[in-house]
Parts: sequence; C-alpha cells; structure tokens
Amino acid sequence: MGVSGRGALLACLLLAAAGAAAGPGEDRFREANDLVRSGDYPKAIGIYGELARSGAESATLYWNWAQAATARGAHGESLWALLRARELDPGDRAVARDVERLREALNLDKAEVAPEPLAVASRFARRYRLDLVALVLLALSLAAHGAGRLRIAPRASLRIASVALVLAIAAAAVPLAGSFARPTAAVVRRGAPLLDAASPSADATGTLREGEVVPVLETSGDWLRVEDNAGARGWVHQADVRRLDKAPEPPPRG
Amino acid sequence: MRRLAGAALLLLAASAARAELTLRSEVDAHKIGVQDKLQLTITVEGSGAPDEIPPPPLVNLDVVAGPFQSSQISIVNGRMSRSFTLSYVLQPRAVGKAEIGAVQAGGQSTAPIAIEVVAGAIRPKEPQRQDPFGRDPFGDPFEDVFGARRRTRSETLRVQMEAQPSRSRLHVGEPLVLTYWLYTQAAVADLQFKEAPQYAGFWVEDLEREKLSPSGEPATLEGQSYRRFPILRKLLFPTRAGTLTIPASVFRIGIQRTGFFDAGGSIERPTKPVTITVDSLPDAPGFSGAVGRFKATASLDRDTVPLGEAATLRFRVEGTGNLKWVDRAPELLVSGAKVFPPQSKSDLRTTENGVSGSRSWEFVVVPETSGAIEIKPMAFSYFDAGAGRIVSSETSPLTLKVEGGTAAAGAPAAPGLSAAARATGALPLRSELDFHASWTPGARLLTSLVALALVLHAGLWGLAARSGGSYRSGGAAPSRSVRAALRELERVAREPMTKEQAAALVEKALDEAVGGIKDADDSERARAIRALLDDVRFVRYAPQLGDYSEKVKDLAARAAEAVRRWA
Repeated sequence: MGVSGRGALLACLLLAAAGAAAGPGEDRFREANDLVRSGDYPKAIGIYGELARSGAESATLYWNWAQAATARGAHGESLWALLRARELDPGDRAVARDVERLREALNLDKAEVAPEPLAVASRFARRYRLDLVALVLLALSLAAHGAGRLRIAPRASLRIASVALVLAIAAAAVPLAGSFARPTAAVVRRGAPLLDAASPSADATGTLREGEVVPVLETSGDWLRVEDNAGARGWVHQADVRRLDKAPEPPPRG
Repeated sequence: MRRLAGAALLLLAASAARAELTLRSEVDAHKIGVQDKLQLTITVEGSGAPDEIPPPPLVNLDVVAGPFQSSQISIVNGRMSRSFTLSYVLQPRAVGKAEIGAVQAGGQSTAPIAIEVVAGAIRPKEPQRQDPFGRDPFGDPFEDVFGARRRTRSETLRVQMEAQPSRSRLHVGEPLVLTYWLYTQAAVADLQFKEAPQYAGFWVEDLEREKLSPSGEPATLEGQSYRRFPILRKLLFPTRAGTLTIPASVFRIGIQRTGFFDAGGSIERPTKPVTITVDSLPDAPGFSGAVGRFKATASLDRDTVPLGEAATLRFRVEGTGNLKWVDRAPELLVSGAKVFPPQSKSDLRTTENGVSGSRSWEFVVVPETSGAIEIKPMAFSYFDAGAGRIVSSETSPLTLKVEGGTAAAGAPAAPGLSAAARATGALPLRSELDFHASWTPGARLLTSLVALALVLHAGLWGLAARSGGSYRSGGAAPSRSVRAALRELERVAREPMTKEQAAALVEKALDEAVGGIKDADDSERARAIRALLDDVRFVRYAPQLGDYSEKVKDLAARAAEAVRRWA
C-alpha cells in the first residue's frame, strides 16, 4: 500500500469515527427540532441543553435553542443562546442580526450586551482564525530565515522571514489580547436579584435586566459574583444567568 | 333518645333565630357641668357583630380619651353570643346643649342622645379605689372557711384550644386555612390571645368572619365530648420551601360565674405547634410565580385607531390562587408600535380556596406605522398544583388596524420572532447539526509558540554570526551597499584624484560590498578579494614615481567586477 492509499484509509477511518460520534447526536437534534415544531418547547430545550453539555456545541444548536426560547417567551435565554452561537461562530451573520434585533427588543443598550471590549478582539480573532494565521506565519518566517542562512535566495528569504515574523506577531497579538477579557454571563431571568452575599437569604442590592451581559468576577458554589452595567457588584444565583465563555453546566440539584 | 335529639334541634333552631344583632348607645349622665366628663358606651351584641364601629357625630363635645375596645364571647347553656363594646370619655366645650349623634353599625342605628351642659362641675368626684376590708367585697365570703380550693374550679374545667390546618403538605404559594377551635364543656365569658400567633414563612390573609353557629357543634377531643366553636380563621400562603412550624398560641379564656359563690375566673390554654411541609415550585423561564388556576385574556379597547393616536390593550388574569403575588404582566412587544409600561388594577377577595378575582394590566400602545398591526398571544404561566406542573394560559392574537400615514410594509422587525419566522409563520430552525471540532491553540500555547519562534530566529542569527556568515564577513551584502560601492568605483575611474584618494575609495567600496576577509578563508572569492586589496594597497603606499591613473582605472574596473561577482 502506497502513501496515498494509507492516507485514504486513514481519512475513511476518521470519517467513520466522526459519523459514529455524530449519529446519536444528530438523531437527538432532529428529535428536538420536531418537538419545537410541535410546540413542546421546554422538552426541546431540554434536549438542546443535553446535547450542549455532551460536547455537541455548535452555532446551529444554539440557533435552534434561541428560536425555541423565543417562542416560549424566554427572551433572556434566547439572547444568551444567540450570544453563545456567536461565540462559537462569530462569522454567522444571521446570528449577529438576531442578536441585534433581540437586543433592541429587550431595550438594551449596546454596552449592556458587550461589557468587555477585549471580547470583541477575541471574536475577531476566532472569526478570521488569527491564531492559526499567526502559527503559519511563524513557521514561514522560520523556514525563510533558515533558507537564507543556507544561501537559498538569501536576500529574498531573509526579507520574507522578517515580514512574516512581524505579521505573525501582529496576528498573534489579537487573540492574546482577547484572552485577557473577563468571562461573561447573560441574565436569563427577568428581575433576577443582585444580592449582597452568596446566600438566598442575602439582601438584594439591585435587579439585573433580562438579557444583560455581565462580567463574572468570581464564583462560589452555585453563585457568581458579577458587575452590572451600572458598576454595581453583587452575587447572583447561577440559575439566573448563563455563562457565555463555556458550555452550559448541568442544572443544580436539589 | 330520638325525642331528646329532636328537642335539642328545636332548641338550637330557636336560639339561632334569636341570635340577632342589637346596637346600644348609652351615656352615664344626661346633665353634666362644663368641667365634668361624660362616658359614652356603644355596645353591639349578636353573632353578626361588625369589627369596626364608626364614632358618632358630636355636637359641643370633644373626645378626651378612647375609644377603649373590649369583646366578649359568651356560651351559656350551649348557646354562643358575641358582644363588642366601645367606650369614649367626652368633655363639653361650653355651657348649653350638646348632642351625641346616631351610631350606625351592621345596618342598624341608634337614636341621638341630648346632653344638657351647665356651668361648673355638678358630678361627684370619683372616689379613690380602695378596699377597706382588704378583700373583694363581692368575693367569696366563705373563702376563709373553705379555703382557696373553691377558686380552682376554673382550672379543672375541660376547655381546650386547637389550631387545625386544612392540610399539612402543600407547595409554595398554595393556600392553607388555619382554624382556631375552642373546645369547651363550660360557659365561656371572654376569650382573647395572650400571645399573638406568629406565622414566620407565611403570607397571611384574614378570612371573612364565618357565620358562627350559636351553639357550636359537638366534637370529641382526646376521648372527651365537647362543644366546638371556630374562633379565628387565617389563610396562609407559604413563602418558602421546607418544613415550617407555626408555634403555639396562648389564649386567655374567661369563665362565666355559675352561681353566687362561684368566682368565675380565667384560664390559659395553648394550642399545639403546627408543622407544615412545603414543597418547592419547579423553575421555568417566564414562570410568573402564580400558583392556582388562572385564565389569561387580552383585549383592545378599539379595533381601529388613527395613526398618531393610542389604543389600550388590557391583559387580564382571572382565577383563584396566590394572585396577590403576581406583580407584573408578561412583556408586551408589538412590532410597529411603541408600548408604554402598564398600569395595574386588582379586584381580589380572600376565600378559603385562596385569593380570587382578577388582576389586569393596561398597556398604552401607540402605533408608529399604518396598516394592520399584529399583537402576538401573551402567555401567563402558573403552577397548577392539581396537575403538579407549570401551565401556560395564552391569550388570543389581536389585530389593531391603523389608519392614515404610510403603509406598514417597512415596519421594524417583530421582537419576538426572527425575520424569517415572521415571513413564513414558522420558526426558522436549522436542520443539520454542524460540529465545530476545529482546533484552536489556547493563549498559553500561542504565547509559547511565538516565544519559541523568536528564540529560533535569534538562534539562527547567532549561529550565522558565530560561523562568520554575517553580511560584513562575507555574506550577501544588501543591494543598497552594492549599488553604493559600484557608484564609488565609477567615480574613481571617472574623476581625477590622487592615487591615495582613489585607492582609499576602492578599498572602502570593497569593504562595504564584500566585507572583511578572514585569514582562514581560502575560498576563491577570498583569494581574489585579497589579491585585489594587495594591489590597491600597493598603489596607495607606493612612492609617486610616475602616472598611476591607468593603474587606478584598472583597479576600479577589477574591483567593480569583483563586487558584481562576489558581493
């Protein structure tokens, strides 16, 4: 078996493995879509959540989740699902349009759904895969530098190496800057209280707006310490907000 | 036995018929001095006595104390009656006529009372309360003979209090009726709380007073037969999940005298603590917090409205449950119209099954475009305890026709649904689950790789410098240096100058273009450059014995060729 034959076999094996992994997930996804069409939104959302927690996260999954949540009247949850879809696929224009539309419907200011400017850099880097671009340019600059040292078109090689290195550093700077953005969460419950301590018996110091995105300052058990758009800091129960920086967690027990 | 039961029923019916409301207004004097005080006593007796009696209108009189309230429950010969008394202390303002107006309560009215006020004080001073005999003159005269045991009859009386919940397990927000029962075998003259009951963890509503049976009802408690009377009823709504306890309440019960030698007296009876198990409510987005059974409706005050004017949308929730807890309407988003925050109205009454009635919210809707504006169904979700799940009651969709102005084709997007959904009427679901398995290096890995690349670049530079591969030591010269060197060499061949100047320029041009040649370098390039430099130095340092111009031109030409070849 030649090199091409071995490559084809490997590709087939990978495809088969991917198909086996995606099969049950696809079935559950279609089942959830049928439930949405039949009007059973809570059950459909339950299946979407189950898929997301199992690692089958995608912009498509969250798009459908958002549609079901909207139909159910849960606009905060819908906005969260769309924002999560945008995190996964920043280039999805339909998602971006619906995020904007829902933001206006919820009467939220732009700053209230984008409290972290560095997160924009992070999304920009993900959209254009600047991390991979930076790695390719780094490899190119090293290769060109090596060729120059080996006197293979030395002048052109060294010039290419220099330019590629500068571009690689510039490209890598964007995702690296984005990595300094604080994690955020979207408020999914209308009138979610902002408490002065991580306890259900704590005093409420304010109320969060449904759909508002808040930076997460720290976590403690089922509680998240957040900062609202007005700068007020307090604790909110994790059932009232959904994280945007990671997949949903299983619902709290009890 | 049957005759006895029949007689008892007849007796009860007769006593119930007699249980009617009587209202009296009395004063302790009809003629007083302007410096005297007058006591007004208003008494209501009967089973339907109201809780509040408005004060009567007063002419030439001021209230200087009161009202003092007292209530009594009397059970005599198996019949129960209530009396409620209000007392005022009045003082005249001036000499002349005074009047206490009619007292009105329970649909009845008393006659006005005329008072004559004269100058000075005509009423005797109230004597100082003192007991010259050291004992109650109306007490038991045989107490010294028979001892204090005669007073303990009330303590051995069979009288009990019980707090009885209508159920012991329910959900947060479900109603529970707590009834305080009096069980007695004796005539009770008075009954009141010694310690007010506490209901921590509950929202408390007072139930309307129940029509009391004057003779109570037979009941058995701990093996003893009693007559039982409901004293107080409260409607409780648990506000949190868990095991909640209503602590004991202590009642002070006055026992009626039964004879001349019976002192009567009062006893205290506590209820037992009541424990209630409260289950939590399921959580769901959009859940209003309402528990019970409700129906939501929506209506517009008009079907057609001119552009620029407002319509009112009324969202109404009707049913029974904890409707008082529902403090806000669902969000109303109308495409092509501005919606202002609603005003709410309530029409609620407390019943044994909860708070019944309706709450309504009125939204002012101001269309911003003409045409037909669709108002989506509004959903009101509540917990149906009977079904054990959250149920949603949806209103019907409404259409508001807006006349005048431009067409509504360009109306802004409906906030609830996406553009595709509004166009097709169906949700724009995506059918294929795309797995995003693309690998991305994390920030740490990316930082590490960038740093590694920089280190490798530095290593390559260092390696080249170490092996003499720099531009100055034989490596490729920048094209700018080569061009500059060639220009210098052309200048040497073209312009007249001394041999020292020419040699210096040639040497400089060679050095800039090809760099220094190491002694160990024995390559052809090194040998050629070294030979050329020897000739240049010879011309430079040789004595001026003749014309070196041709020699200089020859060196410049050879140097230019070397630069082009080796630089």
